[in-house]
Amino acid sequence: MSLLDDPGVSSPAPGACGDRKPARDRAFIRVTGLEACYHGKPAVRGVSFEAYEGEQLSLLGPSGCGKTTTLRCIAGLETPTAGEIVIDEQVVFSAEQNIDVPSERRSLSMVFQSYAIWPHMTVFENVAYALRLHKERAGALRTRVTEVLRMVGMEALIDQPATNLSGGQQQRVALARSYAFLPKAILLDEPLSNLDARLRVRMREELKRIQRQFRVTNLYVTHDQEEAMALSDRIIVMREGVIAQVGKPLDIYDAPRSRFVADFIGAANILCGRVTEHRPGEALVVDVNGAKLVCAPRAELPRPNAEGEYLVAVRTVYPELRRNFEGAGVNCWPAFVKERLLLGDIVNYMVEWPGGMLRIHGFPNVLFSEGERLLLHISPERAVLVDADD
Amino acid sequence: MIFRRVRGSAARERISLPVLVLLAALVLIIGYPLLLLAAMALNVGDAQALLPTHWGLANFVRLLGHLEWIRNTLLVALAGSTFGTALALLLAWIIYRTTIPGRRVLELLVTIPYPMGPLVGALAWSELASPHGGLINVLFDALTGSHASLVNIYSVPGIVFVMAIFEAPVAFLMIGAAMGQMDPSLEECSAVMGAGRLMTALRITIPLMLPAILSAWLFLFISMMGAFAIPTILGTNSRFYVATTAIYTLFQGYPPQYPLAAAVGFVLIAFAAIAVWLYTRALRGRSYAVVGGRTYRPRPIDMKGLTPFLFAVVCAYVVVALALPLGILLVASLQRNSNITLSAASWTLHNYRYVLFDFPTTRQAIVNSLLLGIGTGTVGTALATILAWVIYRSRGAGRGVLEQLTMVPQSLPRLIFAAALLWMMLALPLKLYGTLFAVLIAYIIVFLPLAYRSITGVVVQLDRSLEEAGRVHGAGWLSVMRSITVPLLSPGLLAAWVLLFMVSVREVSASIFLAGPGAQVLGPAIFNFWDSGGLPQVSALVIVQTAIILVALIVIRSVHKKGVAI
Ligand SMILES: Nc1ncnc2c1ncn2[C@@H]1O[C@H](COP(=O)(O)OP(=O)(O)O)[C@@H](O)[C@H]1O
Ligand SMILES: [Mg+2]
Repeated sequence: MSLLDDPGVSSPAPGACGDRKPARDRAFIRVTGLEACYHGKPAVRGVSFEAYEGEQLSLLGPSGCGKTTTLRCIAGLETPTAGEIVIDEQVVFSAEQNIDVPSERRSLSMVFQSYAIWPHMTVFENVAYALRLHKERAGALRTRVTEVLRMVGMEALIDQPATNLSGGQQQRVALARSYAFLPKAILLDEPLSNLDARLRVRMREELKRIQRQFRVTNLYVTHDQEEAMALSDRIIVMREGVIAQVGKPLDIYDAPRSRFVADFIGAANILCGRVTEHRPGEALVVDVNGAKLVCAPRAELPRPNAEGEYLVAVRTVYPELRRNFEGAGVNCWPAFVKERLLLGDIVNYMVEWPGGMLRIHGFPNVLFSEGERLLLHISPERAVLVDADD
Repeated sequence: MIFRRVRGSAARERISLPVLVLLAALVLIIGYPLLLLAAMALNVGDAQALLPTHWGLANFVRLLGHLEWIRNTLLVALAGSTFGTALALLLAWIIYRTTIPGRRVLELLVTIPYPMGPLVGALAWSELASPHGGLINVLFDALTGSHASLVNIYSVPGIVFVMAIFEAPVAFLMIGAAMGQMDPSLEECSAVMGAGRLMTALRITIPLMLPAILSAWLFLFISMMGAFAIPTILGTNSRFYVATTAIYTLFQGYPPQYPLAAAVGFVLIAFAAIAVWLYTRALRGRSYAVVGGRTYRPRPIDMKGLTPFLFAVVCAYVVVALALPLGILLVASLQRNSNITLSAASWTLHNYRYVLFDFPTTRQAIVNSLLLGIGTGTVGTALATILAWVIYRSRGAGRGVLEQLTMVPQSLPRLIFAAALLWMMLALPLKLYGTLFAVLIAYIIVFLPLAYRSITGVVVQLDRSLEEAGRVHGAGWLSVMRSITVPLLSPGLLAAWVLLFMVSVREVSASIFLAGPGAQVLGPAIFNFWDSGGLPQVSALVIVQTAIILVALIVIRSVHKKGVAI
């Protein structure tokens, strides 16, 4: 149960900053027309979005697309060349009004890719540092630090020098440190990317738990779609310095707007064809190599590719295969299993159908063998027209 | 070969043959002279005998009557190293961390005073600011009509000042390198969490930089305890003796008082050892820098209104440590006699013809110095590479000790070590004394730590996996060396070679006792020349030496963009 599913929940873990009433409709961080360059080369080219209070928002995109730069601009570590950033109704950056509030007065906190654990301090001192800056009373300090460290399972190491910590432990201390002083928002830059694969999965679950305990606005940068799907209320997909799509994880998964998003998030078949019927909002039929594919209707047609063909994205998990040919209706075709790849938890089929080839994810509970002839069904709402990439 | 040994296969660590051979060689060449020094300090019999006929502590008792030598040394070294380190820290921070204009050029200019050397600095500043006849005072008198002198470089503050500005570049390079190794997100994190600039500087930056600052300070302190040229040229006039100048005077006296000189040297080495020990204690468990770790170029801070002031600070340093000294020496080298005139009409190139062609001693000194530079560069680089390779790339016990032993000469004042080496050469049956070979040996040993440090950076950087990758593809050891290791190492090797060349050409302390009439070299030649007067000729010779060093510096910059790692 995530915070946003039930905004009325008000029983956070002991010691967490639960008193702040999250309001899901209030733009807490608002970024407008953000642009940033390095040495004249643009890295972020006009990004606008908002994060609601208490929201877990992810910036997702391939490496080099400007996620870190966007995050650093919000933190005040880079100076944008254009745009405006508002945090909690305070304009912290505005190119037009010439406002640039320094990092230390933005009341944020950040978890760096390298964790940035101060090596000359103990675990306690690392966490206490920001608390002291925020005028935590000396008496309460130790209690507060212990409390926060307990939440990340690190209270036993409270007096260890920071240099003794392993990667995963540094990660926990970095998290504890940034949550401890109740910042307005926490910016996380690929916090899990330096961990090995197994630890990464464990920390992902742990992070989810921590996020629920402390209900602080999170801006989470990652290039890993699983992380973004698992940890976010909404995802912003970025590409080459601009936003490709914004939405809830499942919305983006089910209705990718462009070929890039369809490919980057999840796995999809991209089919090309000509539109043979288009009644806005009612019916949409695409001819894929002669197969008439009924697609999810939409108001306007997307951008076609250079050959004037339209692209249809079909997630590999959605097409159905069955042995029973009865009751075949719309979007049903005879198909032939060309290849089967048993991967353990999932089975990959390459299936020949009148429209060409399809990659389909199946599961070992219903196994088809190579060469088998089956019925293929693609539910029309699972065939989504997407923008071709330029 | 040790290089072929498989990682982790040997369960118990045994000392390998190369380590053993190198250890034995270093113990002999560093330990034996020091042993002779200790013996000489305890020699209460015949002062001219190399091995004591009678043993006792009388020399140390006599030294009690000259405690001011030790006191002066410590005073000058403490003040100079502290001032020099502070200056270096300021310069490094301005150049590497702020947005002042022309940082690349300034970074280069700031490092040049070090290879130019203390002898050049002392001569130049005595021409600039001696109480009578120093250019600054002459101009001041002419402007104000007063006869009081504005500045007097022949004083303790004068000595400290010249030492600090000419040694600061080493500290600058050491601190600058450490700054580049600090992950900028450590500071950024502090800022995002609400700490102002001052807070971040005090709680994060300075504590993290402390090991580098302390080690720069220690380096300067030991170097200044053994400084010779500056206290001689600036202190002798006012009878201000430090340990090295006292030792020199004791050597020059008739008859030479070797035992007392050895006692002074012994005390100096003891102080250096104490400093090293204190430093090691202070840094226990505090070294955060990773050798050969990645380097960062953090976003420089825009200091807004302060920028012109910071820029002026760096320029002022360049003027004081580089432009003025070179300028005055250039002008002085063009004079007909010791009275400096600024009117170009009476200038002459005669002095250059004299030192380059007419005067056999200086002519020979220039040639010898070039030979020594090439010899020290070649042998020193080769030895340091072998050491670095064995220490970093082989397995087995004893490598840590070998590394510590390699760095020992850095803690020995060079003049004192040279004196000890002189006794060793006299004690050996070989006729080494008075040959260039003697000077070469001295240079190689005293500059071994420098060469080793600049090579290890390269060897560590060269990722072992690169080599192993090459070998997996079926390449033999030789072909791995030829196609992977050597091409990757060669810029670093060349940089180390040039560095050794430069410091050898400008060296005085290590050669003043060893360069005899048959083996003239530049540093001592300039020094002796100065001793016997003839300012214009000395200046010309200094300019020739500086020109050689600047050419080497240009070579080093063109092969190694990061400059020299000291
Ligand atoms: N410090 C920098 N100097 C120059 N270019 C940079 C710097 N940081 C990032 N860039 C460039 O800006 C672009 C965006 O980088 P970044 O925001 O780090 O991407 P991401 O975090 O999405 O991987 C990239 O093309 C990158 O090469
Ligand atoms: Mg990034």
